Amino acid sequence: MSAAVLQVACAVAFVAGAALLAHRLQLGLSREIVIAAVRAIVQLTAVGALIALVFEIDALALAFVAVMVVTATLTSGGRIKGVPEARRRAGAAIGAPALGAAAILIAVGAFEPTPREVIPVAGILTGGAMIATTLTGRRLLEGLHDDADAIETRLALGDRLRTALAPTVRTAIRTGVVPVIDQTRNVGLVTLPGTFVGLVLGGASPAEAARVQLTVLLTLVAVELAAATVIAELIVRTRVAPGERLTEEDQRTGPS
Amino acid sequence: MDGGIRVRGLTVSRGGRTVLRDLSFDAPRGQVLALTGPSGAGKSTLLRCLNRLAEPDAGTIELDGEDIRDPPPPLLRRRVALVAQLPVMLPGSVADNLAYGLDALSPAARDEALLASGLDATFAERPATALSGGERARVALARALTRGPHALLLDEPTAALDPDTARHVASTIVALARRDLAVIVATHDRELAGAVADATLRL
Repeated sequence: MSAAVLQVACAVAFVAGAALLAHRLQLGLSREIVIAAVRAIVQLTAVGALIALVFEIDALALAFVAVMVVTATLTSGGRIKGVPEARRRAGAAIGAPALGAAAILIAVGAFEPTPREVIPVAGILTGGAMIATTLTGRRLLEGLHDDADAIETRLALGDRLRTALAPTVRTAIRTGVVPVIDQTRNVGLVTLPGTFVGLVLGGASPAEAARVQLTVLLTLVAVELAAATVIAELIVRTRVAPGERLTEEDQRTGPS
Repeated sequence: MDGGIRVRGLTVSRGGRTVLRDLSFDAPRGQVLALTGPSGAGKSTLLRCLNRLAEPDAGTIELDGEDIRDPPPPLLRRRVALVAQLPVMLPGSVADNLAYGLDALSPAARDEALLASGLDATFAERPATALSGGERARVALARALTRGPHALLLDEPTAALDPDTARHVASTIVALARRDLAVIVATHDRELAGAVADATLRL
């Protein structure tokens, strides 16, 4: 068997094992894992075939970035169901920080405005913003539900609504950015991220690869914190009612 | 009536259902009004309308002659203090809870609130989240009192308490009303209502 076939076979075996374990543990995730794996295979194969073309044509590169942001938006938006206009809110939380930071990096000349540099950078920043948006949004929705009595207690003691919500919002934002902080803290020790590996494999010097990776990684911390903050604010806005109180749907529905 | 709560023509619906229809009553200062009625009758909803945690569809509510929509809600909620059925203790000590959200709380004012709620001053340094149900109920009362309320709204104040503790809390409630507070107690416990109420409103 060739190395290529072995590689794919091993990877498929691992993900099949994960799906099996998820099934055994009744996590309700096995189907999702299989679909995610199939998508990854199809998408990476397609990108492998297309990327050469995308790198050559600027318009195609822009379209590629747009597809990244839209896909990330649909993914995050689908994870925060229950929020009105979830996709629009997720799109703002992901797109503004990720594309904004990418634009700044290009504007100051940190990266060349070529598809070869723009696509990977925009992709990494968008992916990070997507994760922070999903984690923060989900944690905030759980928090608004779990902390409902504490929030109402604070309101009853004379807090303004924003003050009463602050502990719940802070917890959600922290949850959203912990992964990127850990990733940054452990880079080089636990992980050798994709950019670095890719550049080295592509023939760049390790020093150059490290510099590019550092730029992306440190930018990512800011992008993810911004994404977490934006999605938290956009979700909170859906729950603010006039008169320093929560909208009815989220109020305690205990015995009356 | 000079002071206290005055409700006229209050109609409240929740989730498309009319919970309270054209309700009028007075809760004067210095007295305890018991709200009774089965679960779902709208007792909690009514209390939440009185401090604007919920908004009625129609009607007016006055506190000491002033429409409750006039003051900013945070100020209103300090004047019309609501103590929930299962009071949430915020992180920190009992003293932290009593001072929560206040610019300053003197030790004297803190101890006075504890004493008025049937606790002694040594409770101040206890961790708030490690208290028994009865102690929580009393700390929640004391925490409401440190706001300097004009009215006190108690939602099933004894529901989670054993009979002995419940009797003590009941006598504390009556004593608080005598400090010129308008006290409204929502309860399905007829014994409690009978023990504390100057007047009863059945929903």
